[in-house]
Amino acid sequence: MQVNKVGIFLIALFGGLGIAFLLVPIGGEAGGILKLMGVIWVGVAAFMVVYIRRQKQKAVHNDWIFNQGLRGRATVVEASSGGTMNEMPIMNLVLDLEVPGQEARRASRTETMPIFTATRMVPGMVLGVYVSPKDPSDYILVW
Amino acid sequence: MPTRAEVFQIYARERGLEPAGALSPGPLTPLLAEGNGAPIDPAVRGELPGGVTGTAGHFSYTRNKTFRFHVAITEVPESQQFAPRLFCVREGRRTRDDHFYGFGARHSKVWTESEALSERYTVTTSPYQDPNWMRQLFSPTFIDWLVTAPPPDYSFELAYGTVLGAIEEDFPGLAELDALCRVTSEVASRIRTESHE
Repeated sequence: MQVNKVGIFLIALFGGLGIAFLLVPIGGEAGGILKLMGVIWVGVAAFMVVYIRRQKQKAVHNDWIFNQGLRGRATVVEASSGGTMNEMPIMNLVLDLEVPGQEARRASRTETMPIFTATRMVPGMVLGVYVSPKDPSDYILVW
Repeated sequence: MPTRAEVFQIYARERGLEPAGALSPGPLTPLLAEGNGAPIDPAVRGELPGGVTGTAGHFSYTRNKTFRFHVAITEVPESQQFAPRLFCVREGRRTRDDHFYGFGARHSKVWTESEALSERYTVTTSPYQDPNWMRQLFSPTFIDWLVTAPPPDYSFELAYGTVLGAIEEDFPGLAELDALCRVTSEVASRIRTESHE
Protein backbone atom coordinates (compact mmCIF):
# COMPACT_ATOMS: atom_id res chain seq x y z
CA MET A 1 0.00 0.00 0.00
CA GLN A 2 1.13 3.56 -0.57
CA VAL A 3 -0.24 6.97 0.29
CA ASN A 4 -1.73 9.04 -2.50
CA LYS A 5 -2.58 12.75 -2.87
CA VAL A 6 -5.85 12.26 -1.01
CA GLY A 7 -3.95 10.67 1.87
CA ILE A 8 -1.51 13.56 2.09
CA PHE A 9 -4.44 15.98 2.04
CA LEU A 10 -6.20 14.05 4.82
CA ILE A 11 -3.08 14.03 7.01
CA ALA A 12 -2.65 17.78 6.51
CA LEU A 13 -6.35 18.36 7.19
CA PHE A 14 -6.56 16.24 10.35
CA GLY A 15 -3.18 17.39 11.64
CA GLY A 16 -3.67 21.08 10.87
CA LEU A 17 -7.23 21.36 12.14
CA GLY A 18 -6.43 19.15 15.13
CA ILE A 19 -3.60 21.47 16.17
CA ALA A 20 -5.84 24.48 15.55
CA PHE A 21 -8.53 22.99 17.82
CA LEU A 22 -5.94 22.44 20.53
CA LEU A 23 -4.64 25.99 20.31
CA VAL A 24 -7.92 27.86 19.99
CA PRO A 25 -8.32 30.10 23.07
CA ILE A 26 -11.86 29.14 24.09
CA GLY A 27 -12.64 28.11 27.63
CA GLY A 28 -15.56 26.30 29.18
CA GLU A 29 -17.40 23.27 27.84
CA ALA A 30 -17.06 24.32 24.18
CA GLY A 31 -13.33 24.72 24.59
CA GLY A 32 -13.09 21.28 26.21
CA ILE A 33 -14.99 19.67 23.33
CA LEU A 34 -12.76 21.42 20.79
CA LYS A 35 -9.62 20.27 22.62
CA LEU A 36 -10.92 16.70 22.75
CA MET A 37 -11.61 16.86 19.01
CA GLY A 38 -8.12 18.29 18.53
CA VAL A 39 -6.54 15.37 20.37
CA ILE A 40 -8.54 12.85 18.31
CA TRP A 41 -7.75 14.54 14.99
CA VAL A 42 -4.05 14.89 15.74
CA GLY A 43 -4.10 11.23 16.83
CA VAL A 44 -5.65 10.20 13.50
CA ALA A 45 -3.00 12.18 11.59
CA ALA A 46 -0.24 10.65 13.73
CA PHE A 47 -1.61 7.15 13.13
CA MET A 48 -1.61 7.75 9.38
CA VAL A 49 1.97 9.04 9.49
CA VAL A 50 3.08 5.96 11.44
CA TYR A 51 1.25 3.70 8.96
CA ILE A 52 2.98 5.42 6.02
CA ARG A 53 6.39 5.08 7.69
CA ARG A 54 5.80 1.36 8.23
CA GLN A 55 4.70 0.90 4.64
CA LYS A 56 7.81 2.73 3.44
CA GLN A 57 10.03 0.52 5.62
CA LYS A 58 8.28 -2.52 4.21
CA ALA A 59 8.77 -1.21 0.68
CA VAL A 60 12.51 -0.71 1.32
CA HIS A 61 12.76 -4.28 2.63
CA ASN A 62 10.82 -5.61 -0.36
CA ASP A 63 13.07 -3.67 -2.73
CA TRP A 64 16.05 -5.38 -1.10
CA ILE A 65 14.45 -8.81 -1.61
CA PHE A 66 13.73 -7.90 -5.22
CA ASN A 67 17.37 -6.98 -5.81
CA GLN A 68 19.01 -9.74 -3.76
CA GLY A 69 16.43 -12.52 -3.66
CA LEU A 70 15.88 -15.70 -5.64
CA ARG A 71 13.31 -15.52 -8.39
CA GLY A 72 10.73 -18.27 -8.54
CA ARG A 73 7.09 -18.80 -9.27
CA ALA A 74 3.96 -19.09 -7.20
CA THR A 75 0.88 -20.96 -8.40
CA VAL A 76 -2.42 -20.00 -6.84
CA VAL A 77 -4.06 -23.06 -5.26
CA GLU A 78 -6.89 -21.34 -3.42
CA ALA A 79 -8.11 -17.77 -3.27
CA SER A 80 -10.81 -16.24 -1.12
CA SER A 81 -11.73 -12.76 -0.04
CA GLY A 82 -11.61 -11.89 3.64
CA GLY A 83 -13.20 -8.45 3.45
CA THR A 84 -12.25 -5.18 1.82
CA MET A 85 -10.16 -2.13 2.60
CA ASN A 86 -10.72 1.08 0.63
CA GLU A 87 -12.80 -0.89 -1.91
CA MET A 88 -9.91 -3.33 -2.36
CA PRO A 89 -10.50 -7.00 -1.52
CA ILE A 90 -8.28 -8.51 1.17
CA MET A 91 -7.34 -11.78 -0.49
CA ASN A 92 -6.34 -14.94 1.34
CA LEU A 93 -4.17 -16.95 -1.01
CA VAL A 94 -2.80 -20.46 -0.79
CA LEU A 95 0.24 -20.76 -3.05
CA ASP A 96 2.57 -23.45 -4.30
CA LEU A 97 6.04 -21.93 -4.32
CA GLU A 98 8.77 -23.17 -6.64
CA VAL A 99 12.14 -21.49 -6.20
CA PRO A 100 15.34 -22.80 -7.78
CA GLY A 101 17.54 -24.44 -5.15
CA GLN A 102 14.73 -24.73 -2.62
CA GLU A 103 12.25 -27.48 -1.90
CA ALA A 104 8.81 -26.81 -3.37
CA ARG A 105 6.40 -25.86 -0.63
CA ARG A 106 2.90 -24.61 0.04
CA ALA A 107 2.41 -21.24 1.70
CA SER A 108 -0.45 -18.94 2.57
CA ARG A 109 -0.49 -15.23 2.10
CA THR A 110 -2.84 -12.31 2.63
CA GLU A 111 -2.67 -9.43 0.15
CA THR A 112 -4.84 -6.36 -0.32
CA MET A 113 -5.40 -6.02 -4.04
CA PRO A 114 -7.38 -3.90 -6.48
CA ILE A 115 -10.57 -5.56 -7.74
CA PHE A 116 -9.18 -6.13 -11.22
CA THR A 117 -6.28 -8.06 -9.67
CA ALA A 118 -8.35 -9.96 -7.12
CA THR A 119 -10.66 -11.34 -9.79
CA ARG A 120 -7.64 -12.89 -11.53
CA MET A 121 -6.59 -14.82 -8.45
CA VAL A 122 -8.03 -18.17 -9.45
CA PRO A 123 -6.47 -21.63 -9.00
CA GLY A 124 -3.77 -22.16 -11.59
CA MET A 125 -2.78 -18.49 -11.89
CA VAL A 126 1.02 -18.25 -11.93
CA LEU A 127 2.73 -15.24 -10.36
CA GLY A 128 6.36 -14.27 -10.01
CA VAL A 129 7.93 -14.45 -6.57
CA TYR A 130 11.21 -13.22 -5.06
CA VAL A 131 12.44 -15.00 -1.93
CA SER A 132 14.84 -13.53 0.63
CA PRO A 133 18.23 -15.26 0.56
CA LYS A 134 18.24 -15.07 4.37
CA ASP A 135 14.77 -16.39 5.11
CA PRO A 136 12.78 -18.63 2.72
CA SER A 137 9.53 -17.61 4.40
CA ASP A 138 10.18 -13.96 3.54
CA TYR A 139 9.11 -13.31 -0.02
CA ILE A 140 7.37 -10.82 -2.27
CA LEU A 141 4.65 -11.75 -4.66
CA VAL A 142 4.63 -10.01 -8.02
CA TRP A 143 1.08 -9.08 -8.99
CA MET B 1 -27.46 12.48 -36.83
CA PRO B 2 -27.23 8.72 -36.25
CA THR B 3 -27.49 7.37 -32.74
CA ARG B 4 -24.57 5.59 -31.12
CA ALA B 5 -26.21 2.22 -31.76
CA GLU B 6 -26.64 3.11 -35.44
CA VAL B 7 -23.00 4.19 -35.72
CA PHE B 8 -21.88 0.83 -34.35
CA GLN B 9 -24.24 -1.04 -36.70
CA ILE B 10 -22.69 0.79 -39.62
CA TYR B 11 -19.21 0.22 -38.22
CA ALA B 12 -19.82 -3.51 -37.82
CA ARG B 13 -21.19 -3.79 -41.33
CA GLU B 14 -18.39 -1.80 -42.99
CA ARG B 15 -15.54 -3.45 -41.09
CA GLY B 16 -16.86 -7.01 -41.14
CA LEU B 17 -17.46 -7.16 -37.39
CA GLU B 18 -20.19 -8.91 -35.46
CA PRO B 19 -22.65 -6.74 -33.51
CA ALA B 20 -22.56 -8.06 -29.94
CA GLY B 21 -25.20 -5.96 -28.20
CA ALA B 22 -24.21 -5.31 -24.62
CA LEU B 23 -21.18 -7.19 -23.30
CA SER B 24 -20.14 -7.44 -19.68
CA PRO B 25 -16.45 -8.37 -19.67
CA GLY B 26 -16.10 -8.00 -15.89
CA PRO B 27 -13.51 -5.94 -14.02
CA LEU B 28 -10.57 -6.96 -16.21
CA THR B 29 -8.73 -3.63 -16.08
CA PRO B 30 -8.86 -0.57 -13.81
CA LEU B 31 -11.17 1.31 -16.17
CA LEU B 32 -13.60 -1.60 -16.47
CA ALA B 33 -13.47 -2.06 -12.69
CA GLU B 34 -14.54 1.56 -12.19
CA GLY B 35 -17.76 0.71 -14.00
CA ASN B 36 -18.91 -1.69 -11.25
CA GLY B 37 -20.24 -4.14 -13.83
CA ALA B 38 -21.35 -1.59 -16.41
CA PRO B 39 -21.50 -3.21 -19.85
CA ILE B 40 -19.81 -2.27 -23.08
CA ASP B 41 -22.88 -1.20 -24.99
CA PRO B 42 -23.13 -1.22 -27.94
CA ALA B 43 -20.28 -3.59 -28.68
CA VAL B 44 -18.86 -5.17 -31.81
CA ARG B 45 -16.36 -7.99 -32.00
CA GLY B 46 -14.17 -9.82 -34.46
CA GLU B 47 -10.94 -8.90 -36.20
CA LEU B 48 -10.56 -5.24 -35.37
CA PRO B 49 -8.96 -2.74 -37.75
CA GLY B 50 -5.25 -3.18 -37.15
CA GLY B 51 -5.51 -6.94 -37.16
CA VAL B 52 -6.08 -8.15 -33.62
CA THR B 53 -9.14 -10.09 -32.52
CA GLY B 54 -11.16 -8.35 -29.89
CA THR B 55 -14.09 -6.19 -28.91
CA ALA B 56 -14.81 -2.51 -29.39
CA GLY B 57 -17.64 -0.46 -28.01
CA HIS B 58 -19.01 2.27 -25.83
CA PHE B 59 -18.40 2.09 -22.10
CA SER B 60 -19.94 4.44 -19.58
CA TYR B 61 -20.66 4.48 -15.89
CA THR B 62 -21.72 6.93 -13.24
CA ARG B 63 -19.75 7.73 -10.13
CA ASN B 64 -21.29 11.01 -9.01
CA LYS B 65 -21.05 12.06 -12.65
CA THR B 66 -21.13 10.04 -15.85
CA PHE B 67 -17.86 9.05 -17.49
CA ARG B 68 -17.93 7.99 -21.13
CA PHE B 69 -15.28 6.13 -23.07
CA HIS B 70 -14.97 4.16 -26.26
CA VAL B 71 -12.80 1.13 -25.79
CA ALA B 72 -11.07 -1.60 -27.76
CA ILE B 73 -10.11 -4.78 -25.93
CA THR B 74 -7.88 -7.65 -26.94
CA GLU B 75 -5.85 -10.33 -25.22
CA VAL B 76 -2.09 -10.86 -24.99
CA PRO B 77 -1.93 -13.61 -22.38
CA GLU B 78 1.78 -14.24 -22.89
CA SER B 79 2.55 -10.80 -21.42
CA GLN B 80 1.28 -11.77 -17.98
CA GLN B 81 4.56 -13.29 -16.83
CA PHE B 82 6.52 -10.17 -17.85
CA ALA B 83 4.16 -7.34 -17.02
CA PRO B 84 1.10 -8.18 -14.92
CA ARG B 85 0.09 -4.52 -14.82
CA LEU B 86 1.09 -1.68 -17.10
CA PHE B 87 -0.96 1.49 -17.45
CA CYS B 88 -0.24 4.28 -19.88
CA VAL B 89 -2.89 6.84 -19.08
CA ARG B 90 -3.38 10.27 -20.63
CA GLU B 91 -2.10 12.89 -18.24
CA GLY B 92 -5.06 14.38 -16.41
CA ARG B 93 -7.60 11.71 -17.30
CA ARG B 94 -10.23 11.25 -14.62
CA THR B 95 -12.14 8.03 -14.20
CA ARG B 96 -14.06 8.78 -11.04
CA ASP B 97 -15.30 11.69 -9.01
CA ASP B 98 -15.77 9.97 -5.69
CA HIS B 99 -12.30 8.83 -4.71
CA PHE B 100 -11.80 9.66 -1.05
CA TYR B 101 -9.30 6.98 -0.04
CA GLY B 102 -5.87 8.02 1.12
CA PHE B 103 -4.12 4.74 0.33
CA GLY B 104 -3.92 2.57 -2.75
CA ALA B 105 -2.05 -0.43 -4.07
CA ARG B 106 1.64 0.20 -4.51
CA HIS B 107 2.76 0.91 -8.05
CA SER B 108 5.92 2.11 -9.74
CA LYS B 109 6.21 4.91 -12.24
CA VAL B 110 7.98 3.86 -15.39
CA TRP B 111 10.96 6.13 -15.85
CA THR B 112 12.11 7.07 -19.30
CA GLU B 113 14.23 9.92 -20.56
CA SER B 114 11.35 11.11 -22.74
CA GLU B 115 9.84 14.36 -21.48
CA ALA B 116 7.27 14.17 -24.26
CA LEU B 117 6.04 10.81 -22.95
CA SER B 118 5.87 12.11 -19.38
CA GLU B 119 3.99 15.21 -20.47
CA ARG B 120 1.42 13.21 -22.35
CA TYR B 121 0.99 10.09 -20.22
CA THR B 122 1.38 8.78 -16.69
CA VAL B 123 2.97 5.37 -17.11
CA THR B 124 2.81 3.04 -14.12
CA THR B 125 3.46 -0.61 -13.56
CA SER B 126 3.26 -3.13 -10.76
CA PRO B 127 6.33 -3.13 -8.54
CA TYR B 128 9.04 -5.76 -9.01
CA GLN B 129 8.58 -6.25 -12.72
CA ASP B 130 11.59 -7.03 -14.83
CA PRO B 131 13.06 -3.57 -15.57
CA ASN B 132 14.90 -4.86 -18.64
CA TRP B 133 11.68 -6.06 -20.23
CA MET B 134 10.06 -2.71 -19.55
CA ARG B 135 13.02 -0.81 -21.02
CA GLN B 136 12.89 -2.96 -24.12
CA LEU B 137 9.16 -2.40 -24.53
CA PHE B 138 9.54 1.34 -24.07
CA SER B 139 12.17 1.62 -26.76
CA PRO B 140 12.80 5.05 -28.28
CA THR B 141 10.80 3.98 -31.33
CA PHE B 142 7.77 2.93 -29.29
CA ILE B 143 7.95 6.07 -27.16
CA ASP B 144 8.14 8.25 -30.25
CA TRP B 145 5.16 6.44 -31.70
CA LEU B 146 3.18 6.76 -28.44
CA VAL B 147 3.60 10.51 -28.31
CA THR B 148 2.78 11.13 -31.96
CA ALA B 149 0.49 8.47 -33.42
CA PRO B 150 -2.44 7.81 -31.04
CA PRO B 151 -5.41 10.16 -30.78
CA PRO B 152 -4.82 12.92 -28.18
CA ASP B 153 -7.25 11.39 -25.69
CA TYR B 154 -5.87 7.86 -25.99
CA SER B 155 -4.84 5.72 -23.01
CA PHE B 156 -4.14 2.02 -22.68
CA GLU B 157 -4.14 -0.47 -19.84
CA LEU B 158 -2.51 -3.89 -19.76
CA ALA B 159 -3.76 -6.03 -16.91
CA TYR B 160 -3.02 -9.75 -16.69
CA GLY B 161 -2.95 -10.20 -20.43
CA THR B 162 -5.91 -7.97 -21.28
CA VAL B 163 -5.11 -4.87 -23.34
CA LEU B 164 -7.70 -2.13 -23.23
CA GLY B 165 -7.32 1.01 -25.32
CA ALA B 166 -9.67 3.90 -24.63
CA ILE B 167 -10.58 7.30 -26.01
CA GLU B 168 -12.73 9.81 -24.22
CA GLU B 169 -14.71 11.08 -27.20
CA ASP B 170 -18.49 10.92 -26.65
CA PHE B 171 -19.63 10.31 -30.24
CA PRO B 172 -16.74 9.10 -32.35
CA GLY B 173 -17.26 8.53 -36.04
CA LEU B 174 -15.98 5.59 -38.04
CA ALA B 175 -12.56 7.20 -38.52
CA GLU B 176 -12.13 7.76 -34.78
CA LEU B 177 -13.19 4.17 -34.03
CA ASP B 178 -10.74 2.97 -36.65
CA ALA B 179 -7.97 4.98 -35.02
CA LEU B 180 -8.82 3.55 -31.59
CA CYS B 181 -8.74 -0.02 -32.90
CA ARG B 182 -5.59 0.43 -34.99
CA VAL B 183 -3.63 2.05 -32.18
CA THR B 184 -4.75 -0.59 -29.68
CA SER B 185 -3.80 -3.31 -32.16
CA GLU B 186 -0.36 -1.77 -32.50
CA VAL B 187 0.08 -1.56 -28.72
CA ALA B 188 -1.01 -5.19 -28.33
CA SER B 189 1.31 -6.30 -31.15
CA ARG B 190 4.29 -4.56 -29.59
CA ILE B 191 3.56 -6.12 -26.20
CA ARG B 192 3.17 -9.53 -27.85
CA THR B 193 6.41 -9.17 -29.79
CA GLU B 194 8.32 -8.14 -26.68
CA SER B 195 6.84 -11.07 -24.75
CA HIS B 196 8.16 -13.50 -27.35
CA GLU B 197 11.68 -12.07 -27.50
